[in-house]
Amino acid sequence: MSYYRRKQYKGQDDFDYHDRRREMYDSPEEKLRATIIRLGEVDPVQEVPRLVEQIREFTPVNVSAVAESIRIAVTEQPFKIPYYAALLRLLHDAPVPGSEDAAGPSFGKQILEDFWKGFQAYLDRLAWRETRLCIHLFAHLTVAKVISAQTMYELLRSFTAVLDEFGVSHGRAKKAALCAAEGLMIAGPAVKENTGLNVFDLINPIQAYIESTSDVKGLVQPTIKLFANSEPIETADEILDAALAALQTLNSSDFAHTADCFLQPYLDFTPFTDAPFDLPSVLVPPEVIELDTFSTDSGEDAPAKKEEWPEYHVRLFDSDVTPDPTTPVGYALRTGLLDLIDIFEVNRKECARLLLEFPKWTPRGTFKPRPGAPAEEPVAGKDWQLESTIIETVLGMLMVLPEPPHKPIYYIALITEICKLSPGTVGPAVGKSIRKLYGFLADGLDVELSQRFSDWFSIHMSNFNFQWVWREWVPDITLSPQHPKRVFMRRAVDYEIRLSYYDRIFKTLPEPMQAPDSLVLPPEAPGPGYEYEDPVNPHHDSAQSVLELLRGRAKAEDVMAHLESVKNSLETTEGDANIDSLVRSIAVQSLLHIGSRSFSHFLNAIERYLPLLRNLASGSISTTGTSNLEGRMGILNAVSAYWKHNRHMIVIVFDKLMQYQIVDPTDVVSWAFTRGGESRLSSGHPSIGSLEWEIVQGALNKANGRVVIARRKVTTLRKEDDEKAALAKVSNGAAMEVDTEAKPDITHEESPALSSAMKAFAILTREQKAALSRTLDGFVDCLASATNPNPNAKSIVSENAWHNRANWNEDEWVTWETWGWYRHFCRMYSPYLRNYSATLGTISFAKVGNASDPAVELFRRIWNVATGQEA
Amino acid sequence: MAHVVQSLDQPSNYKDSQSRYDRQKQADLLSRSTTLYIGNLSFYTTEEQIYELFSKCTSPEEGGGIKRIIMGLDRNTRTPCGFCFVEYYTHAEALASLRYISGTKLDERIIRCDLDLGYREGRQFGRGKSGGQVRDEHRADYDPGRGGWGAQAQRLEIERRREVEERYQDTQDGPGAVAGGGGEWKQVGNANEQTLKRGRSPDDDDNSRETRARTDGAE
Repeated sequence: MSYYRRKQYKGQDDFDYHDRRREMYDSPEEKLRATIIRLGEVDPVQEVPRLVEQIREFTPVNVSAVAESIRIAVTEQPFKIPYYAALLRLLHDAPVPGSEDAAGPSFGKQILEDFWKGFQAYLDRLAWRETRLCIHLFAHLTVAKVISAQTMYELLRSFTAVLDEFGVSHGRAKKAALCAAEGLMIAGPAVKENTGLNVFDLINPIQAYIESTSDVKGLVQPTIKLFANSEPIETADEILDAALAALQTLNSSDFAHTADCFLQPYLDFTPFTDAPFDLPSVLVPPEVIELDTFSTDSGEDAPAKKEEWPEYHVRLFDSDVTPDPTTPVGYALRTGLLDLIDIFEVNRKECARLLLEFPKWTPRGTFKPRPGAPAEEPVAGKDWQLESTIIETVLGMLMVLPEPPHKPIYYIALITEICKLSPGTVGPAVGKSIRKLYGFLADGLDVELSQRFSDWFSIHMSNFNFQWVWREWVPDITLSPQHPKRVFMRRAVDYEIRLSYYDRIFKTLPEPMQAPDSLVLPPEAPGPGYEYEDPVNPHHDSAQSVLELLRGRAKAEDVMAHLESVKNSLETTEGDANIDSLVRSIAVQSLLHIGSRSFSHFLNAIERYLPLLRNLASGSISTTGTSNLEGRMGILNAVSAYWKHNRHMIVIVFDKLMQYQIVDPTDVVSWAFTRGGESRLSSGHPSIGSLEWEIVQGALNKANGRVVIARRKVTTLRKEDDEKAALAKVSNGAAMEVDTEAKPDITHEESPALSSAMKAFAILTREQKAALSRTLDGFVDCLASATNPNPNAKSIVSENAWHNRANWNEDEWVTWETWGWYRHFCRMYSPYLRNYSATLGTISFAKVGNASDPAVELFRRIWNVATGQEA
Repeated sequence: MAHVVQSLDQPSNYKDSQSRYDRQKQADLLSRSTTLYIGNLSFYTTEEQIYELFSKCTSPEEGGGIKRIIMGLDRNTRTPCGFCFVEYYTHAEALASLRYISGTKLDERIIRCDLDLGYREGRQFGRGKSGGQVRDEHRADYDPGRGGWGAQAQRLEIERRREVEERYQDTQDGPGAVAGGGGEWKQVGNANEQTLKRGRSPDDDDNSRETRARTDGAE
């Protein structure tokens, strides 16, 4: 059942093909449900008493329909919760219609009892958000005296009890703590009134839990401080820290300010004096442990579950522009917006509309009135800017590390919608946010966030005519070419070109940035770079002959035969040059050349010549042997040489070469570390920049994705097998009843499909481990090698070095960025690394240098924190 | 969720007017579809631009990714005519595109995405009388990204034009003309088996064609 308004979005140049105006004939009950859910669309204060009447007059009485509608409304429109509390409060004055027994339970109480069952169901399946929002309702009802403060307190205690569980996961602890903290913020006035209840028993466990997480915080703060473990930072707030701070402030004034933060419309009614409802006691159920996991021969299994980390939200504006989330009212507003953003992920357009309507659901004077609206006396300490608050909140989510709850593109698309609804007011807030984030770049904004920032920037500009005042950043082109600001500009422009085209983006830049020596823009449009194109190239003629065959769609065998003859003739002319590698390069580059017109052309070209590519991967031409590292690296090198002016294509081609199993993810990781960042450091050490990381990440995700698919397959087949076995047992049993002769037990054998799926799973987990191991090894070579240490790796990690960053040279910045990607690797793949930590750590750490080296020490510390070992 | 608001990833009223499946079958296929129809593209937009935007919705860590892109071409001139198909490896990725990309801009035009029943032979070509898309023949406004006035009108000289017009001149018809994009990982066994197997024809290609044949034959 859906209750949304069937309305069209009428954007200026907006399409809406999702409009289905099917005629709906709603039954009276459906109409009542819809009315309950749409409460307050015009004026909630006036609508509540009217709705009470409607519910009372409705026949036949249907308590569960009303309770269910309120449950949907509370969990999907949390901004209206105070008014549903008011509704339930008034329904408590009403006897059940038609009921003879005036002394029986009120209508409101019956609905509340039914509502509780729904809450219990949310809790049983650990639907945390729904659970927490129901607690909000209970907390309001506690202030309204409809629910007893004692039982509300006990409910909250059940959630803080989770924090004492042994080995509780951070995700579980965080969600339970937020349930308790937010419940207490709202119910505080009533709980505190009851002198028998000690609010510190709720606050202290949260504080103790937070203190236990301090070791890992440094790894997920939005600014990198290599020298510090986890100092508090000023540019971001951790969500649990903020909740605790807000709670402590509220408690210090005995929750007198709760009314400042949350609407309490029910307090306008006559006080409720009947016996309050006692909430039943609950136990937060334990996390479900996946029962159908299975391990490989080595006993190591990759988990499917993502790790949760302390959640930092960047802060972009001052407290007089947007509310400070560590204050009670700031926290309430921030969490209200966050819930909206999360719930309405299914419809970003509605989400944008509701965000801009948010002030309607906040106490008067919270936000500045809209331009044109009647002026109001500003409330001291409030009067914030709505648009800046919204954009800061959305960007805060986008910038959560190691990754936001939804795909980054959701938050990006949401900002686009908000801008479309109110360009005049939202545009400036977006512009200020961009400038602020750009400023953070110089102060160590995390490399992954810098990357996400360029992603947002380019997609946003792509939606708004690429209009950005680049001019104001012109002075920064005098910074070191590897300074994060210059890296950002280069990457933002690169991403804009990917979404558009070179000449278009060229025109958007001011003259100093168009100049090739500014290094903002590549010197020419990204295009293919066929090395043998030029007739003066000594191998031009050989390459042309191969190209002709490929263009003529010659059979793979004929191309192989021709390449063999090219090889033979080169052997006579070239002497001791590496002929194999030369022929491989000619073959691969020619293949890419015929496929250079488009992605589809490329796919067609490689699909037609897969046998040739497989032979090349095995180090030969017309014969197949075992796959050979030199052959596979040669292919990857030829790709990067051919697409040297179009780095996007390198990523795309590598992805498909892995998909077609020409190369393995581990090869691609190797390539990124050995060839990817080559020549960026004057010392010749390998390094990882954002392109290399994009390639490494693509390879790791490919390896992990294959394991996911393989695991799913095994699970399905095993289930089928088990079902068959059960069936066989039953029919065997049935036969035995008829047949008096005893039959031997049919031993159940694994189906061939299952055993081959198991085998595939084992191989793929091995490959996954190999890819992860190769990555860790690569980072050892970059930062902590015993035999060939990178001198910059240790010189830049001290606090003094960081404060001297204005004088850093290119090598220092490149090494700093590599540190950043190492940190990201560790936290991003932490669930996998934990699983393999024993073996991976032993192998790679055998190669690291002396522990007294600060670089080695840092390298180990990051690893230990990410893998959950002693920091 | 989605009691109080309609999710943007619901199938719309877009349909393949030449599909021979009944309604039920179509609904069933759409509920598993990994293919999107993308409309209102500029004629000059390249597959790489499309790849870049649609890769924002991929979930490679779940075994997903962009499988292939099939550019819609004018039947007669073999030039892009403003639509394409994007095929992912998973259904969830297609849904994510409906939620986050449909209705946003690519190459400065607001594009629309719809779930599609899946690519079939010949669908890369426009079905209008002129060779392009039918909708361009009904269009009466001036649209520089789509060749100016309607389909028969004179085309605007734009720098990207020549390149784009030449790009797909070599497009072929018939089975196998459109690449598969690579299938699921397959075990190649130990070195010896591998030698034998790898000596044969490209199995990825065969595989994707098989899948296509199965879907086509399932009417």
